Amino acid sequence: MKIMGYPRADGRVGIRNHIAIIPSVFCANNVVERIARSVEGTVALRHPVGCSQVGYDLELTARTLSAMGTHPNVAAVLVVGLGCERFKPNELYESVKKSGKPVEMLVIQEEGGSSKTIAKGIEIARRLIEQERKRSRVECDISELTIAVKCGGTDATSGLAANPVVGAMSDLLVKNGGSSILSELNELIGTEDMLAGRAINKEVADKVYAAIYGIEDKLRSGCDERYAGRNELISPGNYDGGVSNIVEKALGGVYKGGKSPVTDVLEYALPAKLGQKGLFLMNYESHDGEVVTGMIGCGAQLVAFTSGRGTPAGFPLAPVIKLTGNSFMYEKMNENFDFSTGDIIEGTATIEEQGQKLFEMVVDVANGKLTAAEKLESYELFCVARALGGHNNSLEQSV
Amino acid sequence: MKKALRSLVLSPEDTVAVLLEKGARGDTVTIGEQQIVLLEDIDFAHKVLIKDSEKNAKVIKYGVEIGYMLADAPKGSWIHGHNMGCDRGKKNRESLQ
Repeated sequence: MKIMGYPRADGRVGIRNHIAIIPSVFCANNVVERIARSVEGTVALRHPVGCSQVGYDLELTARTLSAMGTHPNVAAVLVVGLGCERFKPNELYESVKKSGKPVEMLVIQEEGGSSKTIAKGIEIARRLIEQERKRSRVECDISELTIAVKCGGTDATSGLAANPVVGAMSDLLVKNGGSSILSELNELIGTEDMLAGRAINKEVADKVYAAIYGIEDKLRSGCDERYAGRNELISPGNYDGGVSNIVEKALGGVYKGGKSPVTDVLEYALPAKLGQKGLFLMNYESHDGEVVTGMIGCGAQLVAFTSGRGTPAGFPLAPVIKLTGNSFMYEKMNENFDFSTGDIIEGTATIEEQGQKLFEMVVDVANGKLTAAEKLESYELFCVARALGGHNNSLEQSV
Repeated sequence: MKKALRSLVLSPEDTVAVLLEKGARGDTVTIGEQQIVLLEDIDFAHKVLIKDSEKNAKVIKYGVEIGYMLADAPKGSWIHGHNMGCDRGKKNRESLQ
């Protein structure tokens, strides 16, 4: 199967052709946003980090910003730094350059203040837009496509309709040679046996256990004995909603990843090895923005996001398809949704039928169809994960 | 007035169905060929047993075990924390090893 995408110099395929303006430190946010506002077709990646960071925390910021700059949905990059920050703008510039993308850099302290940097930035951004405008989509194999799957603002319909439909779509993409990334491991506690049982080998199975147990230990550290049992790690509202224990809740979430074998466990914002395809887990928890940023950093070009209660949040570089199983919310927040699985709750459609339809929508969005969040220019999901104190939660513990 | 309720069986091997609307005692759900009468009031999105189950029998949803029966129960029963145990859920990890 084919999609129409943008092949990049590093061999990856984009489904959008963004000119990204990335601050290497939060102090450059205003300059970055004013350049982006002045040049149509550019996107600003506002963030609060880059200053006074150490250890794994600094590593996460460097890795995430580099992952955004080198992302296949990005055509060209303008890096804007301040000059005295911990995360050097030059490091970001070099990593983007290595990927083969056109990249330019401005440093506010060297340019002589905000206004001069903005003026020069606008000039550069216009030039990058002019260069990239000529690029057109070409036929690429669908196996180049990676989707991130996520739920947020969950209600009882998410685990019954929207998440299983995303899972059916994810299985179809994997069957066609593509990839899918599932994370929010704190919400998968209790399903580790099942996921490890679907791992492609023992090494990956061990990584599944280590990642989920690691998150469980992190959740419990600092909690008193009231949280000693696993069921106490989820909020009581779940039980009123019809879920009887943490395992049943986790099953409602885990099926966003369908029933495909687990290829590997990825670390935050680190793409899979070249040629690795299929269903991946990413070792992180469930802050909507941080986890989506990490999965896009892992190379996902688009996101399927289920929400029973509705959320407007989108991502600056990647389309986010919003689905709900709740027909009432679909009507009420209609402009924020792309797809309804309410038919399943009404009993007029099956999970398989809706999964097929969603797969077709994923292909359309990959080919350029804009999502609700893109039309609304909703970019809240870009959030860089922190590891305060420099504590390393990765499985390798090597950085 | 007894109602025929909408329900969802997520996987063919499941022993429970999820109600897609609020149900009252005496209402019915149809699962394949069989009609099951609710033995008690059951809320929206809660589970109804669709197979007579003995104590310690597995409770299956999404095609996998979500727990085990704490006592014998006939189909039509509401299944929740009061009559379903779950070792993976109740105890912490260390006690499972």
